[in-house]
Amino acid sequence: MNQLLPVAFLILFVIIFGVGLMYLASLFGAKGSKSKSHLEAYECGVQATEAKTSKVSIKFYLTAILFILFDIEIIFMYPWALSLNDFIASGSGVYMLGAMGFFLFIFIFGLYWEVKSRALEWE
Amino acid sequence: MGSDIFEFSINGLKIIIIFMMMVQIVPLLVWVERRGSAYIQNRFGPNRVGPLGLTQLLADAVKFLTKEEFVPQGSYKFFFYLAPVVALIPAALAFGAIPLSIPIQVEAFTMMGRNWGPYTFPFQSFELGLGVVFVLGASSLAAYALLLAGYGSNNKYSLFGALRASAQTISYELSMGLSIVGVLLVYNTFNFTEMVAQQSGPLAFKFLGNDLLISWLPNWGIFYQPLGAILLFAAFFAETNRLPFDLPEAEGELVAGYHTEYGGFKMNMFYIGEYGHMLVASALMTTFFFGGYTLYPWLTPESLNQALSSFSPTQASLITAFSLHLVFLVKVLFFLWIFIHVRWTLPRFRYDQLMDLGWKTMLPWSLVNAIVTAVIIVLMRSHWS
Amino acid sequence: MSTFIISNLWFYVLALSLIFFAFKVVTSANPIHSALHLVLTMMGVAGLFFHLNAQFIAGVQVIVYAGAVMVLFVMVLMLFDLKHEFNAFAKGLVSGFLKLMSVALVVGYLVGVFLESGESKGVKASLTTSGDQTSTQLQVTRDLAQLLYTKYVLVFEVLGVLLLVVAIGAVAISRIQGGTHAKH
Repeated sequence: MNQLLPVAFLILFVIIFGVGLMYLASLFGAKGSKSKSHLEAYECGVQATEAKTSKVSIKFYLTAILFILFDIEIIFMYPWALSLNDFIASGSGVYMLGAMGFFLFIFIFGLYWEVKSRALEWE
Repeated sequence: MGSDIFEFSINGLKIIIIFMMMVQIVPLLVWVERRGSAYIQNRFGPNRVGPLGLTQLLADAVKFLTKEEFVPQGSYKFFFYLAPVVALIPAALAFGAIPLSIPIQVEAFTMMGRNWGPYTFPFQSFELGLGVVFVLGASSLAAYALLLAGYGSNNKYSLFGALRASAQTISYELSMGLSIVGVLLVYNTFNFTEMVAQQSGPLAFKFLGNDLLISWLPNWGIFYQPLGAILLFAAFFAETNRLPFDLPEAEGELVAGYHTEYGGFKMNMFYIGEYGHMLVASALMTTFFFGGYTLYPWLTPESLNQALSSFSPTQASLITAFSLHLVFLVKVLFFLWIFIHVRWTLPRFRYDQLMDLGWKTMLPWSLVNAIVTAVIIVLMRSHWS
Repeated sequence: MSTFIISNLWFYVLALSLIFFAFKVVTSANPIHSALHLVLTMMGVAGLFFHLNAQFIAGVQVIVYAGAVMVLFVMVLMLFDLKHEFNAFAKGLVSGFLKLMSVALVVGYLVGVFLESGESKGVKASLTTSGDQTSTQLQVTRDLAQLLYTKYVLVFEVLGVLLLVVAIGAVAISRIQGGTHAKH
């Protein structure tokens, strides 16, 4: 756990640095006007036209879920990559290839199905 | 972090200096970018402020300090202020885990009447057993700065820009992870120092039971994983939102995407984060594929230690560490120059082209790379008797 | 002796801040505040894994949970503008009663765990060892891989099938109401 002490120190220093810089900038900054149009959201310089809430495509949600799934599958490959040499040395390298190969076959089939069913088509 | 006050303070100072290294490379890189892009576009860059325009960035920093402190109306103030700080943290964490040179060994010495024992200072902010996994974890936290910035701005277009940017970031993290699997298969370790140590010899591998040795080439990872290197480099472009994957900050399309409503130093901190990610990407490329801080056969730790045997051990260790750090810096600057050069050479991808590239081209190719590497390694290193 | 105290101090600081973040997850009025506190909770859990000498699992926790699952949560929460929702959960008799009952359940469970703590010696042992840093961690990961791919390989393959099912289910759900290219 003492290994994480430098990490905590670094995070603390970055937060202090960032907050300090922003505070310094707010001390020296010019004061802006308080008119209504100055404080509005920026929309290429014209008044805000549409309502603020609008429909958003569901593809963001799908992208994130598929990312989680494939990320988990990639995480499974990390201990496999580390221990492949041990398995080769003990003679069962092909077995490891086969075990992970079946998993990768399911992974590739999932990817193929997802591409084929046009789940991530962005216009 | 240190068992006594000397080691503790030196390590604390080292953490601060390495972070400030990341912050201070931003003015240098922006100057290179502005002058370099100007020469690419057949014009002069900034050349009025100071010699060759070098203090242009200092003037810009002072200008940023005097900008107006602006918070959009109705925004979530806490998120609006939090996002620039959160943008700095992943790059700083990732850069701290990468070794910049060999550890410095300090012999026992006496100072102020006390015996300070022999120390070893690793030339990185923190040395973790899992190097690569930590850097991947820190990079995956980069999506939060985008989302917080877009949400805190109370601007519908900033929110869309942030969602698109984070969708792009997470799509290319998959190719990054898979290319790193290829690297792990070759080096068989998570730790960066061991990876660099394996690259400081001649090119030697076993093939079908025979040992091959090419003594005039260093044992760099680029010879083992050429496709993986290209895929990883391309994935880094997308992770750092650099052109050609520039759409989240495309000027003229979404104004400035998720950081439209930011001005002054808050905007500058997003740029520090972006250039920090570029620096981490270049450092990872040199560590994985180009030998890190060694350059066989001239500048490896062993050869330098031999050459400097006439100095005292502390001085020899210091000189070795800093010369190897210079080697590392040269390689990192080369990759940073490639980042900048590509930005001003290639046109920008459209968003659907970008996502198609990430999911339908780079992910399958990274898979193929990992599978082929694994098969070749089983073929190469099995016992053929 | 001092490393014993210091490593236990780490654990208590981490655990207390984790409990505080989890408390804020449940009681925040703004859902995005809850989600961000949940991110901090996940990172605290990663710190606990680190403390228990399972550094690879800590890294995986950050990559998958804090870096993927919570990004999904935060993205979805930002997609739906929930401003008018959080008043509904901040007060009310039924929701207050439910909150109290769930807290009572959790506390009862914890008390039961403490009373059954014949295993606490094992936990104390790993709290006091500061494992050797780089090489043992790789060995831990390699041992994990040895177990995973020999003894539990069937579980591993079934997990792959489960992930495939989740992918197909997610795409199917998103098409129920005409999401992406659903056939009308």
